[in-house]
Amino acid sequence: MLQYIAKRLLGLLPTLLIVGFLVFLFVHLLPGDPARLAAGVDATPETVELVRKDLGLDRPLSEQFVRFVVGVGHWDFGRSLRTKRPVATEIGERFMPTFWLTVWSMVWSVLFGMAIGILSAVYRNRAPDRIGMTIAVSGISFPAFALGLVLMQLFSVQLGWLPTVGNDTWRSYVLPSLTLGAAVAAIMARFTRSSFVDILGEDYIRTARAKGLDEQHVVVKHGLRNALIPVVTMMGLQFGFLLGGSIVVEKVFNWPGLGRLLVDAVDMRDYPTIQALVLLFSLEFILINLVVDVLYGLINPTIRYK
Amino acid sequence: MKLIRTFVAAALAAVACVAAPAFAAKDVVFAVASTFTTTDPYDANDTLSQAMAKSFYEGLYGFDKDMKMIPVLAESYEVSKDGLVYTLKLRRGVKFHDGTDFKADAVKANLERVLNPENKLKRYGLYNNNIAKIEAVDDYTARITLKTPFSPFIAQLAHPSTVMISPAALKQWGSKDIAFHPVGTGPFKFVEWKQPDYLKVAKWENYWRKGYPKIDSITWKPVVDNNTRAAVMQTGEAQFTFPVSYEVADVLKAKPDLEVVAAPSIVLRYLSMNTQQKPFDNPKVRQAIAYAINKEALAKVAFNGYAAPAEGVAPQGVEYAVKLGPWPYDVAKAKQLLTEAGYPNGFETELWSAYNHTTAAKVTQFIQQQLQQIGIRTKITLLESGQRVEKVESWQDPATAPVRLYYVGWSTSTGEADWALRPLLDGESWPPKLFNTAYYKNPKVDADIKNAQLATASDEKAKLYKDAQQTIWNDAPWAPLVVERLLSAHSKKLSGVYVIPDASFDFWQADLQQ
Repeated sequence: MLQYIAKRLLGLLPTLLIVGFLVFLFVHLLPGDPARLAAGVDATPETVELVRKDLGLDRPLSEQFVRFVVGVGHWDFGRSLRTKRPVATEIGERFMPTFWLTVWSMVWSVLFGMAIGILSAVYRNRAPDRIGMTIAVSGISFPAFALGLVLMQLFSVQLGWLPTVGNDTWRSYVLPSLTLGAAVAAIMARFTRSSFVDILGEDYIRTARAKGLDEQHVVVKHGLRNALIPVVTMMGLQFGFLLGGSIVVEKVFNWPGLGRLLVDAVDMRDYPTIQALVLLFSLEFILINLVVDVLYGLINPTIRYK
Repeated sequence: MKLIRTFVAAALAAVACVAAPAFAAKDVVFAVASTFTTTDPYDANDTLSQAMAKSFYEGLYGFDKDMKMIPVLAESYEVSKDGLVYTLKLRRGVKFHDGTDFKADAVKANLERVLNPENKLKRYGLYNNNIAKIEAVDDYTARITLKTPFSPFIAQLAHPSTVMISPAALKQWGSKDIAFHPVGTGPFKFVEWKQPDYLKVAKWENYWRKGYPKIDSITWKPVVDNNTRAAVMQTGEAQFTFPVSYEVADVLKAKPDLEVVAAPSIVLRYLSMNTQQKPFDNPKVRQAIAYAINKEALAKVAFNGYAAPAEGVAPQGVEYAVKLGPWPYDVAKAKQLLTEAGYPNGFETELWSAYNHTTAAKVTQFIQQQLQQIGIRTKITLLESGQRVEKVESWQDPATAPVRLYYVGWSTSTGEADWALRPLLDGESWPPKLFNTAYYKNPKVDADIKNAQLATASDEKAKLYKDAQQTIWNDAPWAPLVVERLLSAHSKKLSGVYVIPDASFDFWQADLQQ
């Protein structure tokens, strides 16, 4: 198993290199001159040239690429064209807020989603199922920005229980994580339900029931474990998406996270920041996939790694 | 005894309760629309960063809340007869936050810094490469010599970019890192900048305007979403916010503890037409378009009434602006002009917007619908910032420029007619040089602008600028649309904070009632 993990980690490098190359190309293909954008509308051509030199954009593209790769190798992602601070600092400051928000959203939404999913599957086509799935469908269809605004209007403006913006106390995490997790909870509920419905029709469940186990044991011990594999896959995917920083939720709650950084960076054609962010997102996805694969083995010991 | 002790304790507690508000810190939060790019006004091109920098920086000259130019760190100036030598008398008794005195060497150090191309500052171009030398005659006299006479020079010194940074701090941190350690003479000292969350400044005890500042600190908080900015005002998490979106203005107005202010502005919105391309090379076509748009209705529909029809080429409030309009709305006349120009059935063309926000979408849709009445069919594109730069601002060859009808705006940050006309309408200012998106060129206008720069007498300048504006108005390289009003909101307890006409802020007099 360790060997497997080591191999997978080594395989990371070529993938990241390819991603780095592609993102470098795409970013430079975007229309718009970053020097002109940074200099502003009322800048003279000489000023634009000064800014271009300042940002290192006057060098040939190949040289810029080599610098970028060598820099990344030394853990140096360059300086942001927008704020002139090191990109690593920019991302470092924004990573933790997004990370914790993602974790809290995932925790509640997975617990809540799976509970609803299991209940719905067990009481299939009966009242709990109907109610649960109605909640799930609303969770998917209600757009995050609207949900965020409604929650904020209710709990911050009207009732005054929770802060509107900021990320200093646990209280400021409540509304954003509710908003961010709503769609995930809904997806998890639907996924768990369908996976469970399949499992509950299997022969071994019938056997378990036949040998006289109580329903609780059947569902939790025999059902849950087997139903988990697709659910864990989905969880990993959602986690990866959320780690990228939700642009909408971060905007509504003014969360100082990666999503807003990405929007700002694209707006100003901040090449180094965009490149580093995309690299980070790919790395996160690859690592999460690895964790998910390892979890498979823990859930189902018959799965072997080669 | 015990009774007495309880009594005393109770009395003390009561005194503490009464006295507490007087000692409570007056901390104010300003909620603004985007993150700051820098604290260095010489390296900023967004109004917001420059407005925020007014917390700790001041210029030699500046603007009051009505955009009237006032001396700040300078007391007065004299200009030589040939218009080349400016002698500035500086204010005495002003201290930088690092304790050093403000003297003429600061003027020299700051201007020489921005004029040195090695420093690669974004405001390098503001002074047109026209300053020959800066001398400190004595501690409180600075002399600036220009290469050619340039009458709006003092307005350049009043521009929010031209501030006085402590020369000692500049030496200590260097030209780049000063942006993270700003040291100026302003009413507030820099405390910390926690990007992107907030930037905090605190009262400067030795501020030269005695008795100010009246508040203890300001926290500048970028809150990007319009609705969220409205929410933090309602919850009391912020005491001042700008801008307020039209949609939430009525909600905020209904709150008893908030006040919504619609301040006059010099933000002009116009529709420029590429005069080098058919059919816009014909003045009649351009005039027809100007006649075809109902500006009153536009202000109501797209700006919820928080705008007024434009009354000239430069908005009222800019020095030497002349009132010439508004351009009348007359569809019959527009049709007649279009027929005379040879397009009785109209034509097809592109309509671009320099912005992609909702208001711009409403404006362009409204214009599209208005132009349809005279048979002009337009295809709307809302340009994203990168596209805008590529297709408009840095287009190299004027002959092939793809821009036709272009919805855009301008705020004259020097408050003076030169910067309202020259970058937008001078024949020398075609993209990629500056921002003449109409590719307009009229030798008469160019000569007026040039002569006004050389003129030293105020009435002579006024005459030249009037002639230029009149000529432009008749040539109609633009359809002037509206002048916006600037919507801000503040808590009724907060006073002395104003949005000034160029969308910057004036807040040194800010006070918070407890």
